[in-house]
Amino acid sequence: MKIFEKALLIEILKGLALTLRKMLFARPVTIQYYDKVRPVPASGFRGRHALVRDEKTGDSLCIVCLRCVKVCPSKCINIEYETDEQTKKRKIIKYEIEALRCVYCGYCEEVCPVNAIVLTEWYEYVGFTRKDLFFDKEKLLKNWDEFIVTKKRPYLNPFWKPRGIPEKFLPVKKRQFTGV
Amino acid sequence: MARYLEINKKQTKEETWEEPFYLNMGPQHPSTHGVLRLFLELEGETIVNCDPIIGYLHRGVEKLSENLNYNQTIVLSDRLDYIASAANNTVFALAFEKLIGLEVPRRAKLLRTIVCEMARICNHLLWLATHALDIGAMTVFLYCFRDREWLLNIYEKICGARLTHSYVRVGGVRQDFTKEIIEELYRFTEEFPSRIYDYETLIDVNRIWLRRTKGIAVVPAEQAINLGLTGPVLRGSGVPYDVRKFRPYDAYGEVDFIVPTGKNGDTYDRYRVRMEELRQSNRIIRQCLDKLPETEGEPVLAENAPDLLIPEKVKEPKPQPVPKKGVIFRGVDRPIVPSGEAFASIESPKGELAVYVVSSGSNKPWRLRIRTPSFVHISAIPYMAKNHMIADLIAIIGTLDIVLGDSDR
Repeated sequence: MKIFEKALLIEILKGLALTLRKMLFARPVTIQYYDKVRPVPASGFRGRHALVRDEKTGDSLCIVCLRCVKVCPSKCINIEYETDEQTKKRKIIKYEIEALRCVYCGYCEEVCPVNAIVLTEWYEYVGFTRKDLFFDKEKLLKNWDEFIVTKKRPYLNPFWKPRGIPEKFLPVKKRQFTGV
Repeated sequence: MARYLEINKKQTKEETWEEPFYLNMGPQHPSTHGVLRLFLELEGETIVNCDPIIGYLHRGVEKLSENLNYNQTIVLSDRLDYIASAANNTVFALAFEKLIGLEVPRRAKLLRTIVCEMARICNHLLWLATHALDIGAMTVFLYCFRDREWLLNIYEKICGARLTHSYVRVGGVRQDFTKEIIEELYRFTEEFPSRIYDYETLIDVNRIWLRRTKGIAVVPAEQAINLGLTGPVLRGSGVPYDVRKFRPYDAYGEVDFIVPTGKNGDTYDRYRVRMEELRQSNRIIRQCLDKLPETEGEPVLAENAPDLLIPEKVKEPKPQPVPKKGVIFRGVDRPIVPSGEAFASIESPKGELAVYVVSSGSNKPWRLRIRTPSFVHISAIPYMAKNHMIADLIAIIGTLDIVLGDSDR
C-alpha cells in the first residue's frame, strides 16, 4: 500500500489539490492599495502626531506641565516656555516633536492631563527630507486639522481615557471628558 | 578575529587554496533571518567547524534601561524579539511587579495570557513561513502570512500597534478589550484549527520536506539539556520542560493544556512540536475568552500600581496617634520601588525568557539582565551543524527559530 502511494505521488497530489481549491474558490486576501482600497486603521492606532486645536481660542490646549517630555522614552519632545510673572501661567514658545525619533508608544497622550497631544489614526505620511518629519507647533496643529475632518465629532481617542483603568489614575479633567 | 584575518591572507595569497575551505555565511545572507554571521570550515560541502559571530544588532538595551524608568523600559523590550513583543512586555512587567510587590487583577492576568498566546501563534506562523520558504515550500509562506495578518489586525484593535505593542504595563495592561475584539478572537479560534490542517496537508508528509528535515541536526535529550536549550527545541528532544507548567505565571495555572514533546530530537520533531503548540495556544486563548465574562467590569490595573510617569518618592503622612489635618506635606518620603532584586521568567515562543533586575530604590533599574533564548540557541549551532551539508545549515538556523534582535539586545 505504501509503495503504491509513493509511486502515485499521493501526498503531493493532495497538496496540489488544496492549492488549486484555494486558487479557484477562496476569496483573494491581497488588496489593491492606494488606487482601489485605502484601509482604515483601527480606532486608537498610534500614527502621526498632532496637537489638538482649541475651538474657542484657535490655539493648542497645552498647559506646559511637561509630563509628556518626562515620560517620553526616546526623548523626542522638546518644549521651550516662558512664565508670566503675574499670573504664573506658562506659555509655549516652542513645541517640537521629532517624528523620526519617536517610538510610537503612546505614553505622551496617556499622561497628558488636558488631552492636548494625540497620536492620530493617520498613517500615510512620508517626507523627502528629515525636515519634513520634524514637527513644530504649527505643523502639529495642521496635522490635527487634516485629521479631524475625516472623523465624526465628538472624537475620543482610546488612549486619552483608556478602557478599564480605574478613575483614580486619571487626572480630574480626563474623568468627565467625552471628546472634542 | 586575528585568526580569520590570517586565514584570509593565506587564501588570497596562494594560488591554490588549501583544504579545508573557509567561508563566511552572512551577515547579509537572507536565510540567516537577520544579521547572523557564520564562519564555516568546509570540506567539500560538509561542515567541519562552524563559528557563529553575533553583535551586529547590538543596541545596548540593558544599559539603556538604566536611564529609563520601569514603564519606559517596557517600551525597549518591544525591540528585543520583535516578532512576539507581547511576551517580552510580560516578562519585564512580571519582574518589576515582583520587585514592587504588586498583585495584578484577574482580568489583567487573563488579558495578558491571551496576548501572550497570540504572540506565540504569530511567532510560530512566521517561523513556519520562513522555515518552509528556506527549505523550498513557497505556498506555506503565503498561507501563514495571510493568517498572521489577521492576528496583527486584532493586535491593532487591542493596542493600536501591529508589532511594537507596549500593551502590558507595570501593574496590569494599558486598556481593556472591547466586545468587538472578543468576538473577532472567537471567530479566529473557530477558524484557526482548519488553517493548521491546511499547512499540514501541504508539508507534513511531503517527501521533499521529510528528506530535508528527518535526521537533520539530531540533539539527544541529555545533550539538549547540557547545551542549555529551552522551549520547543528542548521539547523536540523529548524533555517536557515548560515554564507555563512548572512555574505558572499570569493565568496559566487555571487553563488546561498539553505540553507536546518529540522523540528523536531532529528537525522534523521540532516542527511537529511547534505545530502542536499552535493548537494548544488556540485552546488556551479559547479558555481565557470563556473566562472573561466572569471578570466583566473589573479594572485592568492594580489598585496600588505606579503611574506611567513613576515618581521617585511619594509623601506619606507621619504615623501619629491622633491624626491632624494639614500635616500631609510634612510627611515622610517613601520610595515607590524598594531596593532589592527580582527575577522572573516566562515561556516565550522561542524558549525561556528571563529578567533579573536589581533596584537601588530609585525609579530606574540599577541593573537589568536579560536572558534571551536566541542567544543560547545560537551557541548550539556548532554542535548541530557538524558533519552536515551547507544546505542543512539553513534548515538548522530555521529550526532553532533565531531572532537576532533577541540575541544581541
